[in-house]
Amino acid sequence: MFRILKKSLKTGLVTGQYPQAQPLVTPIPAAHEKAAPFKSSLTIREVDTGSCNACEMEMNALTNPVYDVERFGVHIAASPRHADALVVTGPVAVNMEHPLKEVYKQTPHPKLVIALGDCAINCGIFKGSYAVTGPVERHIPVDVRIPGCPPRPVEILEALASIRSFRTPSDE
Amino acid sequence: MTDRLSLEQRIQTAFADLVAAHPHDGFLQYRIDQSRLPEVARFLHERLKGRLALLFAIDCRPRAQKYEIQYLFALGAGQPWVLLTVELVGSASLFTSITPSVHAAQWYEREIRDLFGLIPQGHPDLRRLVRHEHWPQGLHPLQKAFPWDKTMGWQQGEYRFRHIEGEGVFEVPVGPIHAGIIEPGHFRFSVAGEPIMQLEVRHFWKHRGIEKLFEQCTLSGALPLAERVSGDTTIGHSLAYCQAVESLLHLEIPRRARFLRSFFLELERLHNHIGDVGAICNDTAYTLAHAHCSRMKEQLMQLNDWLTGSRFLRGTMAIGGVTKDLTAIQQRAVIDSLDRIEKDFAELESIIFANASLTDRLETTGVLTERTAWDHGAVGVVGRASGIDHDVRRDRPFAAYDEVPVHTVVYRYGDVRARLRVRMDEIHESIRLIREIWQQLPHGSILAAADHMPQPGEWALSAVESWRGEVLYFVMAGDDGHIHRCKVRDPSFVNWPAIQWAAVGNIIPDFPLINKSFNLSYAGNDL
Repeated sequence: MFRILKKSLKTGLVTGQYPQAQPLVTPIPAAHEKAAPFKSSLTIREVDTGSCNACEMEMNALTNPVYDVERFGVHIAASPRHADALVVTGPVAVNMEHPLKEVYKQTPHPKLVIALGDCAINCGIFKGSYAVTGPVERHIPVDVRIPGCPPRPVEILEALASIRSFRTPSDE
Repeated sequence: MTDRLSLEQRIQTAFADLVAAHPHDGFLQYRIDQSRLPEVARFLHERLKGRLALLFAIDCRPRAQKYEIQYLFALGAGQPWVLLTVELVGSASLFTSITPSVHAAQWYEREIRDLFGLIPQGHPDLRRLVRHEHWPQGLHPLQKAFPWDKTMGWQQGEYRFRHIEGEGVFEVPVGPIHAGIIEPGHFRFSVAGEPIMQLEVRHFWKHRGIEKLFEQCTLSGALPLAERVSGDTTIGHSLAYCQAVESLLHLEIPRRARFLRSFFLELERLHNHIGDVGAICNDTAYTLAHAHCSRMKEQLMQLNDWLTGSRFLRGTMAIGGVTKDLTAIQQRAVIDSLDRIEKDFAELESIIFANASLTDRLETTGVLTERTAWDHGAVGVVGRASGIDHDVRRDRPFAAYDEVPVHTVVYRYGDVRARLRVRMDEIHESIRLIREIWQQLPHGSILAAADHMPQPGEWALSAVESWRGEVLYFVMAGDDGHIHRCKVRDPSFVNWPAIQWAAVGNIIPDFPLINKSFNLSYAGNDL
């Protein structure tokens, strides 16, 4: 017990100890409006359609004490039926096309789709392969694009924050 | 040399008519007729205790109208690899299955059937593996005649899971999309009450055609693809690929580069192992350890970023050496942070093992027996936790491991706790290795240039002990510097079938814990 307390006290606060990123380059005009109903919270469901798993690792990193994405009201849901936004990573592999469309159908309206990483945006290095059916937007409408291979957690954080920054006082 | 003679002699004694070829140093190759194959494979596997390390096919067209099927056996530390080659000339499409006597061949043979259209005769399970049911019939992408960018059609079909029937038996399907932030895969549990009676893993959802994409690349241009086979094993895969190509190009790697390669590989092992320790604790709902571990992991990722400009160490490997050199200041900073993290982690370890309820969840959960591990040819952390004393760094030293020897960690119980202990001990071992590397780090260049071009048909094989286990790359050169065939084998491919046995008898709520303790890659498996 004392060992645990001592460890926690010794560690102190680590949240926010990361290098800052430049503001996101891609402007996201229409996404703000779509995100407006969610106000200051956003529940995310992550769907991997064929990534190399680096994007997953960075999504997982968002929940660690250093980035602690929950402090910004971003919550990660276990089911698409609980989600406001789908985060899709990877090019859409031929075997994942159907599950992706199914997940999109299961997500309640209104919903946002966020394409995370270069592969989700333009298939990246896997472009053209027989087993890749195209970028995410070929199958479902994409609202936000976060480029990078993989994007750093702080960049994902910035992007998620910027979707919801378009909040007028009347909305709140 | 005596090893080779004795091994060669033993094979010669058993099969007098077989003639060994020595295509490379450390290889014994036998070209045999497929009617002899089962008995030779059985002899290697059962009598000589050879582990089937790799089984794959090559379409030799257009140079020769034939397929070659290669069986690679690993026989103990320091022994040469034994490669059996079977040829299927012309339109022949049947080959003899060795699965009845070498269990580890089962997925490989199904994979060959799907990707090449060659049928393993006598295989007990000929359902589709890589090709999901909606792939049109007769579509075998690794045949040379198949265009790499072909658009696939769609057909109706259903995968038949193995069913257990009886009163009170029901099935629980899980996936392909899971509750956590993980990759897609499908698990089908048959349960009666709480305990799992049978688990069937159905993967290959993320099949992206990587091996076909390799064939579109040049030897020097495929490195970014190798880095993205499995993102968390960037160094493991890129290093294995580089080594294979370097051996094709007859490149001698500068000594400093070899040391730096070992350093980056250990750095990758560190952040993944620390993350896994936390994730295992998290799946027993012990979030405190998870929070501390993910904090340490983040420190390491930031260190990676600071050293190389990539949190995943991407772009550090190059054919001929490494691209990133480290200054004395960086070296000191690395040592300082690793000292801090080791102390930090040691404190956490004592907290973790002081927790009786946590230990209770870990012990005897998800036992993979040594026998089952051996039958599947399990490698890496999973194998070493089940008593399989195998580590490429020690058995076939690469990079700088001949000068900086590794102490291999082996546990025998095969449960979740053993896999956790292997990871914990390897964390300390990695930090020790990195210190040793810095002490011995020589000066000199970090990159060698190639002036040799391999002949079409020349091949090379390389093995690297990534943090998950043995990564194998077989690269065959094609015309004008292109790749004719690149077979990638992530350790996950051999360990996934083994997890089906580790889960039996456990309850479904423990499966996430078992799965986490294996922590296999879906991307590296599906390719």
